[in-house]
Amino acid sequence: MTVKLAQHNRRDIASALKKGMFTLTLGPFKHLVSGTSAPLLDYLYDTYRDYDVALKPTDVSEIILNLKAPNILRRFIRPQVSPDPGFEVPTIPLPLKMAPLAFEMGMNLSVALKCCRFVTVHAGVVANEQGAIIMSAASGSGKSTLSAALADQGYRLFSDEFALIDLEDAMLHPYPRPISLKQDSIAVVRDIVGADRISAPLSGTPKGDIAYCRVSEHDLLQAHKKAAAKLILFPRYEAGVSPMARKLNPAEAVMKLIPASTNYSLLGEPAFRAVLKLVRQAKAYELSYGTTEQSLQLIADIQASGAGR
Amino acid sequence: MKLTVLRCIVGESELPQDVMEAISVINYADSNHILGQMAHCCNQPSMIGVQDVFNNAKLRAKHDHTMLLFEMDRVSRALQGSGVKAVILKGGAYVARGFKASMGRRVSDLDILVASQDLARTENLLKAANWVPDEQTDNAYDQQYYRDHMHELPPLRHKTRGTVIDVHHSLLPRTARYRVNVDKMLETAVPISDHELWTFQPLDIFAHSAVHAFFDGQLDVPARTLVELKLLYDDLSEDEKAFLGKRAKEIGADKAVAMALWVIGNVFGDAKASAQARWLMHPSRNIMLKRALISKTVNGRFSIFAKGFLYLRGHYLRMPIHLLFPHLLRKAIRWRPASSAPPQLPTP
Repeated sequence: MTVKLAQHNRRDIASALKKGMFTLTLGPFKHLVSGTSAPLLDYLYDTYRDYDVALKPTDVSEIILNLKAPNILRRFIRPQVSPDPGFEVPTIPLPLKMAPLAFEMGMNLSVALKCCRFVTVHAGVVANEQGAIIMSAASGSGKSTLSAALADQGYRLFSDEFALIDLEDAMLHPYPRPISLKQDSIAVVRDIVGADRISAPLSGTPKGDIAYCRVSEHDLLQAHKKAAAKLILFPRYEAGVSPMARKLNPAEAVMKLIPASTNYSLLGEPAFRAVLKLVRQAKAYELSYGTTEQSLQLIADIQASGAGR
Repeated sequence: MKLTVLRCIVGESELPQDVMEAISVINYADSNHILGQMAHCCNQPSMIGVQDVFNNAKLRAKHDHTMLLFEMDRVSRALQGSGVKAVILKGGAYVARGFKASMGRRVSDLDILVASQDLARTENLLKAANWVPDEQTDNAYDQQYYRDHMHELPPLRHKTRGTVIDVHHSLLPRTARYRVNVDKMLETAVPISDHELWTFQPLDIFAHSAVHAFFDGQLDVPARTLVELKLLYDDLSEDEKAFLGKRAKEIGADKAVAMALWVIGNVFGDAKASAQARWLMHPSRNIMLKRALISKTVNGRFSIFAKGFLYLRGHYLRMPIHLLFPHLLRKAIRWRPASSAPPQLPTP
């Protein structure tokens, strides 16, 4: 039976995780997770409290993640954890307290490298009644901050990490996992959404300081509603730069989306057709900005100019 | 894991009805790199989600095959008109021949075999077509080591596409304890339509797979090896099967083929294969190898000993101690962690 994680007994969750029967349902995926560490349990209990969870799988899931010690020594001596998505992939073992990071990284790896039902593009996505905004950018470009800020303005968070593009109709599927925040963005987003929704920061990770922003209950309730893209943005944060939006033609947009996809070359032609369909129904812009306010203003301007229809 | 899981993977028994059991079978197949094969062999699983998992695996293999066929085309072009008879080995051969064993099989590198007198010429032609020594082995020691002792050239990597090709002149290292008559196998090689390339005849493809499994290395992916032998055997015609033992003796692969037939008879319950295995080798032979093979495959309680045995055996067969020991020592000293750089993948 699927109920919210917070409604389960903590001991039952721990036992399901240990036995590899913990099933998290979100958007189009079911995730089967196993792991034993207390930091993982604490993190799930806090940040994933509103997610649908079953303690026994009812069917087979595509996404499988096992958080385990990289070797038997590391289970006891200066314990480490490393994500095992069931196939060989180079991962970095992390100290046990960083289990939340290992969990999120492992989940991302699984989705990025396993799933072939969608074109997966590395991007943040938010949506409102008019449609979805895709923000595709490399790490550190302010995409997560922007997603959180837009979510605060009334958009629903679709995904912080992946745009899942349907191969048939190029519709976007929601996949609202927690927003990953790095370094300075932790404080920025804390100011926007409130301290209650930010997880305990992990310092000294390979990616610097990291914290996760919990997705609102409201967004999770809508995590089954697809949306069509209306805007595709390629944001670039650079301190001190004067804000600028440059309109991209469809060909440019396609050529920028392809390298951001984790499975484009694997899927081949169907992926090309889906991305083309996506780009044709939306407007694409490249944004440069120095503050979150500037980026929000740029987006508001684009929408007001009627481009976002 | 029980050995019967392999029968399920090749589609000879149903996927378990219990979800947790089904998941463990799928995980086993995935971690042993045979999920794609399973996806093709299992017919119409009714459990929700299985089809998605299978489709993912099929797509991945299909992508590999596309890349491989393209690479074959490039190799064929590089060698065109040279008169070099290049035989595609292993996965490439299964794909080229459309064998059942190729369905869903992941393939990464291309392996080819040429007669030893053509080796230097082949290397030059490939280099002229932009294949360069792979960075990892592009040092004086490795280059010399491969050329002196191995059955293949140091791996070549294509400059722009990054794909790897291994050029063999034999099926086992020069220093190996067993010899296979490659010349005889080359004689009966069969051309591939559309390419100026060849594969061995089906019997020899099976024999090579057996030799590779039991006389080269330490059975790194035992489940995949066993499933592959079974699927290759299924693809042989009745006439070919009848001739298999004789051919194996001709080319000096009878011990390996006997082991392979024992596996097909014992693990997959094929009585005919069992009988053939008995004809080639007394059932009491190779008991240790058989036990270790099963133990490593099911990853049972004593599999650590099985792995140790297979490791030692693999190295013992590969080269004499006076060559092996200095080599392993050198490799151990030069050892570096596989990945010090973080993977280039989307991460939070």
